Amino acid sequence: MMPYKKLMFAVLLVFIACTVQAEETLKQYDGIKGRSYHSDFYDGQSCDSCHDSKKPLNLPADDACLACHDLDDLIKSTSRAGDEKWQNPHNNIHYGKDVPCMECHGEHESRKPLCQGCHTFKYEKFNQ
Amino acid sequence: MKEEKGHQVDRRKFLVGMGIAGAAATATLASPVLAAAGDRCETKWDQEHEVVIIGSGFAGLAAAIQAKRLGAKDVVIFEKMAVFGGNSAFNGGMFAVPESPLQKKEGIKDSPEAMAADQAKAGRGIANKEQLLHVAKRAKEALQMTLDAGSEYFPYLQQLGGHSVPRTYQTTNAVGAGITQPLLNECKKLGVRLVNRAMFNSLIFDDKGKVVGAKIREGYYFGRGKEGSPINVRSQRGVLVATGGFARNVGLRSAQDPTLTAEVGSTNPPNATGEGLLELFHVGAVPVHMAHIQTGPWASADEDGFGYVSNYSIYNFAHSISVYPKTGRRFMNEIADRKTRSDAQLQCRDDTGNPLPPVTITSYEHAKEHPTMKKVLKYGVGWKFDSVEELAKHHNIPLKALKEQIEEYNGYVKKGVDEQFGKPMAKAKGKYLKAPFVTVRNWPKVHYCQGGALTDVNARVIDSTTWKPIPGLYAAGEVAGGMHGVSRLGSCSIPDCMVMGMTAAETMMKS
Ligand SMILES: Cc1cc2nc3c(=O)[nH]c(=O)nc-3n(C[C@H](O)[C@H](O)[C@H](O)COP(=O)(O)OP(=O)(O)OC[C@H]3O[C@@H](n4cnc5c(N)ncnc54)[C@H](O)[C@@H]3O)c2cc1C
Repeated sequence: MMPYKKLMFAVLLVFIACTVQAEETLKQYDGIKGRSYHSDFYDGQSCDSCHDSKKPLNLPADDACLACHDLDDLIKSTSRAGDEKWQNPHNNIHYGKDVPCMECHGEHESRKPLCQGCHTFKYEKFNQ
Repeated sequence: MKEEKGHQVDRRKFLVGMGIAGAAATATLASPVLAAAGDRCETKWDQEHEVVIIGSGFAGLAAAIQAKRLGAKDVVIFEKMAVFGGNSAFNGGMFAVPESPLQKKEGIKDSPEAMAADQAKAGRGIANKEQLLHVAKRAKEALQMTLDAGSEYFPYLQQLGGHSVPRTYQTTNAVGAGITQPLLNECKKLGVRLVNRAMFNSLIFDDKGKVVGAKIREGYYFGRGKEGSPINVRSQRGVLVATGGFARNVGLRSAQDPTLTAEVGSTNPPNATGEGLLELFHVGAVPVHMAHIQTGPWASADEDGFGYVSNYSIYNFAHSISVYPKTGRRFMNEIADRKTRSDAQLQCRDDTGNPLPPVTITSYEHAKEHPTMKKVLKYGVGWKFDSVEELAKHHNIPLKALKEQIEEYNGYVKKGVDEQFGKPMAKAKGKYLKAPFVTVRNWPKVHYCQGGALTDVNARVIDSTTWKPIPGLYAAGEVAGGMHGVSRLGSCSIPDCMVMGMTAAETMMKS
């Protein structure tokens, strides 16, 4: 089963590459991990930027990120050409534009893209 | 209040699909707690709807649209996953329809009776012929529902394993999402409420034994240990359970068939765990054919899930040969029904008894007609060879035997008769095997559950103690069992799910 081994090796490499990247953006703040590009939120009183209250016990709404991030811009920034057109995670073949952000993105923990449950596409810019 | 619920409401989704009917529904929702007389244990209702549907695959979506078309004011779909579409959004987009517009165009003679007969044959004597015929007769209507919603299909038909004529449409993106996405849009347009992360737990009966609602856990986060908070949802016209199969529930499937352990892969996405079905059994539904669990003979040994090879092989088997690498000889009719092929493939082993996946060989010239070939080559799960020598060397197949097999097979193409395994050669007409070649390696995966809860032809769930329909309880799609018998033919689940979903809606709207 050579191809399988090769595949596993490739998966491992991607994993290592992503872990390295993740270390770049997933930082330890006061009592909680968070993304470096959201460092403004970690002043101890801005949890309600995403969560419903200042003392979050629950996950944010599925559309919380879209309060700041524009979906059309996101689609543009991850667009793919030719026969990879529908591998755009923000507008993909199976679910269109309707995948809740948190299915792939973890603010306080690392996550892997939903597609990787089955597919081996690479998302180079993805911060795991 | 929101803290207690453990999740927050998606403001965008809340507004999705709120037509006039949607606004009316919200008004009902706003009233604090609805108490209803006559319900068992004085159920406190948190919501009330006219039609309640569990699951957002083909069956649930078709039911919602049909209910709306029949005048339902307030239809809701509860879906446990974050995304809508279930197995249906992953499916291969192949849809069998007898007496279709494309058959008319291609001059192919077919009938609902002929399709049902092909299916009954694969069902090996235990299929539900009445339901098969009901679905075959209305498949055209279901196809039209998808066309009206904006689905697009290749302008040609395919002839899949076990079908006596070409009758299979396929979406132009070769995926069931080419149907679920348009149907979801149609639902939104019609004002169907779509609620994700909503896990159906149990049915609620009134004191006369009629299903009047369902317990749903809102804010359920699949796989994250967030179970959500329970609400009681009242339904005026009963509950349709359209929760799909259980191919991913290893405990349940291996209890039926001990060979289907965790070591056997599955083509299904993670949603296919079958709790909805277990609740139907819990309230007394009749289990049928639970051990008949289908594996897909077109899956690949070299990738996960359904992947790319499945659709590639389904398209190409008709004009390809599959050979056992040890002998270089064919070992099956490449378009026999699924069970026949999977069983034959599982016999292909090396000297130590380990799987030795058979190699399926296609002329490049014919393989390239289908868009999946590019993907198969690009992602390294298939190979292209300029000569039979190269092919034999790569796959470690005895060259002389392979050459003879190819020559022999080309004789069958010429004659139009497969003397080796009796494969119908209509779709292989003029398609000789010649270099360059493309190959893939097939190995079966758990794909589809023929078994489920017994329903009648009106999609009513049958009670195992009274043998009468359980009032207010409906099931459609893969969760229902018995229609297909031992083996379901390819492209026959879409018509089953869509037609039975439509049928369920019709029965509910008459109630
Ligand atoms: C990879 C693949 C390819 C296929 N290709 C074809 C093909 O080309 N042609 C064909 O005819 N058939 C094909 N099939 C079979 C067919 O797709 C399925 O049988 C069909 O999609 C089932 O539809 P459904 O509506 O019954 O269930 P699903 O589409 O699975 O939908 C059920 C939904 O219910 C949800 N659900 C489950 N339990 C609960 C609960 N307790 N509470 C709330 N929601 C719940 C699930 O999350 C899911 O979204 C394929 C199947 C697979 C897996």
